[in-house]
Amino acid sequence: MRSDATANDRPLPDERLRDMLYMLKLARFVDERLEALYRQGRLPGAIYSGRGQEGTHVGTVFALEPRDSLFPTHRDLTAQLAKGLDLNRVLAQFWGRIDGYLRGRDGNSHIGDWDGNRTYAVMSHLPIAYPVAVGAAWAYQRAGDGRVALAICGDGATSNGRWHEAINWSAVQRLPVIWVVNNNQFAYSTPNEKEFAVPTIAERAAAYGIPGVRVDGADVLEVFAAARDAVERARGGGGPSLIESVSLRWRGHAGHDPAKYVPTELLEHYMRSKDPVKNFEERLRDLGIVDDAAIAEMQARVEQAFEEAHAYALASPFPEPGDVDKGVWAEDGYWTSEPGRGGGTEAG
Amino acid sequence: MTSIQMPQLGETIVEGTILKWLKSEGDQVKADEPLFEISTDKVDTEVPSPVAGTVTKLLVAEGATVPVGTAVMEIDDGSGAGGNGASAPASAPTAAPAQPATPAAEAPAPAEPAQPTPQPQQPAPARTTAAPSTMPDRGPRSGILSPIVRKLARERGIDLATIAGTGDGGRITKADVLAATAAPPAAGTTVTPLPSVGPAAAAVMVAAPSMPAGQGEEAQPISHIRKAIATHMLASTQQTARAWTMVEVNVDRLVHLREESKEKFQANFGVKLTYLPMVTRATIDALQQFPLVNSRLDGETIVTPRFVNMGIAVSYDAGLIVPVVKGADGMNTVGIARAIADLAARARSHQLQPDEVQGATFTITNPGPYGSLLSVPIINQPNAGILSLDGIQKRPVVVEDDAIAVRSMVYISMSWDHRLIDGELATRFLARVKHNLETWDFAEDLGL
Amino acid sequence: MASTTVESGAAGHGAEPRGKRSEDGQATYLIAVAEALWEEMERDERVIMLGEDIGVYGGAFKVTEGFLERFGPDRVMDTPIAEETIVGFAVGAAMEGWRPIAEFQYSDFMSSGFDEITTVLSRYHYRSGVRTPVVLRAPSGGGVRASSFHSVNPEPWFAYAGGIKIMCPAFPSDAKGLLKSAIRDDNPSLFLEHKALYRRIKEHVSEDPAALIPISSAAVKRPGDDVTIVTYGAMVHKALEAADTLAGRGISAEVVDLRTVYPIDEETVIRSIEKTSRALVLYESFHFLGIGAEVASVIAEKAFEHLDAPVMRLAPPNHPVPFSPPLEDAFLPQVADIEAAVDRLSAW
Repeated sequence: MRSDATANDRPLPDERLRDMLYMLKLARFVDERLEALYRQGRLPGAIYSGRGQEGTHVGTVFALEPRDSLFPTHRDLTAQLAKGLDLNRVLAQFWGRIDGYLRGRDGNSHIGDWDGNRTYAVMSHLPIAYPVAVGAAWAYQRAGDGRVALAICGDGATSNGRWHEAINWSAVQRLPVIWVVNNNQFAYSTPNEKEFAVPTIAERAAAYGIPGVRVDGADVLEVFAAARDAVERARGGGGPSLIESVSLRWRGHAGHDPAKYVPTELLEHYMRSKDPVKNFEERLRDLGIVDDAAIAEMQARVEQAFEEAHAYALASPFPEPGDVDKGVWAEDGYWTSEPGRGGGTEAG
Repeated sequence: MTSIQMPQLGETIVEGTILKWLKSEGDQVKADEPLFEISTDKVDTEVPSPVAGTVTKLLVAEGATVPVGTAVMEIDDGSGAGGNGASAPASAPTAAPAQPATPAAEAPAPAEPAQPTPQPQQPAPARTTAAPSTMPDRGPRSGILSPIVRKLARERGIDLATIAGTGDGGRITKADVLAATAAPPAAGTTVTPLPSVGPAAAAVMVAAPSMPAGQGEEAQPISHIRKAIATHMLASTQQTARAWTMVEVNVDRLVHLREESKEKFQANFGVKLTYLPMVTRATIDALQQFPLVNSRLDGETIVTPRFVNMGIAVSYDAGLIVPVVKGADGMNTVGIARAIADLAARARSHQLQPDEVQGATFTITNPGPYGSLLSVPIINQPNAGILSLDGIQKRPVVVEDDAIAVRSMVYISMSWDHRLIDGELATRFLARVKHNLETWDFAEDLGL
Repeated sequence: MASTTVESGAAGHGAEPRGKRSEDGQATYLIAVAEALWEEMERDERVIMLGEDIGVYGGAFKVTEGFLERFGPDRVMDTPIAEETIVGFAVGAAMEGWRPIAEFQYSDFMSSGFDEITTVLSRYHYRSGVRTPVVLRAPSGGGVRASSFHSVNPEPWFAYAGGIKIMCPAFPSDAKGLLKSAIRDDNPSLFLEHKALYRRIKEHVSEDPAALIPISSAAVKRPGDDVTIVTYGAMVHKALEAADTLAGRGISAEVVDLRTVYPIDEETVIRSIEKTSRALVLYESFHFLGIGAEVASVIAEKAFEHLDAPVMRLAPPNHPVPFSPPLEDAFLPQVADIEAAVDRLSAW
């Protein structure tokens, strides 16, 4: 089932559309730079590229309000940036510095900012945040304030028991939650046909009694339109929805993975014709919303933002080693006070 | 089958030598009958059998030195499974320090505790196969000192070697230590054995050039005792700042007193009357007047006992040994005489207990009877001084009104440790001894 | 739906647990638990309860009988059989300001929610500073011929996770006071109710809704001088019975009830060992790695100087709880086993 939202070329004000493009370009640039730094050995830890899936991430999150909550996975850094996370503090987390959102207690895209931007701190198990989204959605229903929860997972996570438990429960209680599946067609090395026996994920929604749509992740406005529908349904008390956004994972599962299992022709096709960033830029050019100068300016802003964030991260000190055991219990006050800014910095 | 083990005679002893087997394989043996003679740094003694039976195996050769606890003999006593030297449960009587000869109840028939008697010729019947009733059962746990036992002993200044264990396998338990602190001291003096200065006192035997026996010469290894003496003497010489002072004493009255009363004394008390008890008594008084002479140096602390344990050097076949009259400050001359006689006799018959050769606070040596005029003894560590009573001689001396008369005179001297004592004190001490000997009327003190 | 208002706090009304005390005013362990839940639900509107069959049915053990009528389905929720989502839901709701109490029908089923408990609930605060005041509660323990899937002692599994406070009370008054403390605590808690004690013991329990028992405080349930028995849960009662017999033999046993098994009150335990110098650690969780293994280790390390004998443990072996009565009796430590262990310890 495809949404026909693309019939509406301007679902948002121009300013908003330019914001969308900026976010897409920022996401792409961050992804490329982090990969380069990782390959140079200057980025500690791991990277999980979302390249090629920016349409899913930006399209869905732009349908949310700041008061709504987001439950992402390790691949959805773009979604977190779109939700409002500060790139400075995001990169500080990548480099394990005290000014990262989690004070060095976790790294790279295992990030979240609940108190500020209402995003759940990513965990590796899949899709472990889905049951938590159920509880949050219940809280919004209970409060009756119209807030919604949006949870993203990958195609592989749909095989896990939690996926079914959470969607089922949300349907039983008609909770205000949007279940997004970022179907980038490969779960590490496992293609869709080895992950599930039905042709699409979207049609499985019927098994739970909720609506499901399948959209083209290369078209950010198509994604946005489906997400907006689902959000409105949820806000209005109409219960949960499932959105399957199809793209391709351009890079390996993680930085170390060359992804030779992805057929070359498929990858070339997607990079050529299904690049959500390039497609949207062309779209906005066609609509006259941006021109070369605007694009250049946007790109410059993107690069500067990254460089500033990179410098910020490297200038932020490491956490105090002596604080390692603090913050287990609420009463020790570690998280309600300024943290120790411990052992020096280190060039990245 | 009962296994007989090398006993530990003294808390610092770690090994012993089988001097002589008194029984052979196949011999019958009665309970308490001596099985073998052993030699340790402190004392040579016999080891009696805890059981009656037949000696089945001698596991160690004569002359061999083995660690404490080593099985040296097996006796078939019809008890079946292998037992230890103490086959009865370790409900040993507690050993109060003043009763050193109390045995362990390890025989199948519990042995009566034997008291040390003044008559030296009655042998103390119980010789233990372990240290005097401190470790009656050599079971697997008897050597374990639990943390709380160590802690309490440390805090309360208790010598664990004086406590018998009622725990499993003879282990000293917390309750045992608490009971020992709660119980009043046994009748007699409350003396704490002084730490022994054994070979562990770091005497450095400087290696002399080797000159083995040649033609016309005999060679013989030195005995344990001789080795211990050598080490002790060398240590004393190296560690003390030895000085020496002498006084000359007019013992005319003592000589007359002795001549008059020695037979009666012997008849009354069964002990020969010599000058040594009187000199000892006089010296004790001087030690009480000058307590520093009774003290010892422990690191940088001067430890001054309020009692006197008098070491009396005794010469015997194995060499020199210094049994100790414990609590001599509480004895009169008769008591001292008896104690000395008993200790000397038992020293010569190799029947001293290990704690009878420990703990002296001062020492007297008496080479006089052998003919010496003047001696320079070596200090018996850790004492501050050692007094030598040499030979009494009639000499012409100046008496009242500058007349010359013949009197019985004796040189009494003292080697003393200049780290602790200075010349003036040493001299005044000896002057006091001299004063006592020249002015006291010993007759009353001798019960005459 | 119809709601019946019941005057709370008045004894004698059938729907309220307090009405179920015995004629002389004593409460069973089960009623004490129910009273704690009821009082805290009344005291704080943010407290909610969820679990399988707790509403309409009143709970598998009838602990929550009457709660649905009093507090309504918004606060007393019957859930699908989805333990992961029960826990996740509780976390999500807690993150949105609620204070959920999630019930597992048997502690054995907690392993079905293992991931959400050990990955999400126990770790979230340490990683992010966001508080998750969730109480998990379950009937636990054996000795009731319920076989291996209804008899487990799960506390070691979750003590290991490290961010959850775990309580195993042995007496009704402790159960009530501790559960109230757990509900008011801002950290995750696991409250294990020993099912063998539910109806078998009763005592006078405070009626003061403000009466609390502090978490992580052990209690000397029987003073003694010769031997300390450190224990918790149903084993406390067996230890007390053994202590009576031992007293007749001249052995004075002190029984220390841990009450909270993580984090434990080390000070009370060590003070007892200082007095007796002999320790028997008695526990129903399995011998290897059970709670008592840790207690023994603490005693050996921190009370070493006071020990007169090795620290001994008595616990069932690491294999499933059997069904047949002679088998289960041989499996669990019995009063005679405790006496024999104390005898061995005293004779050492």
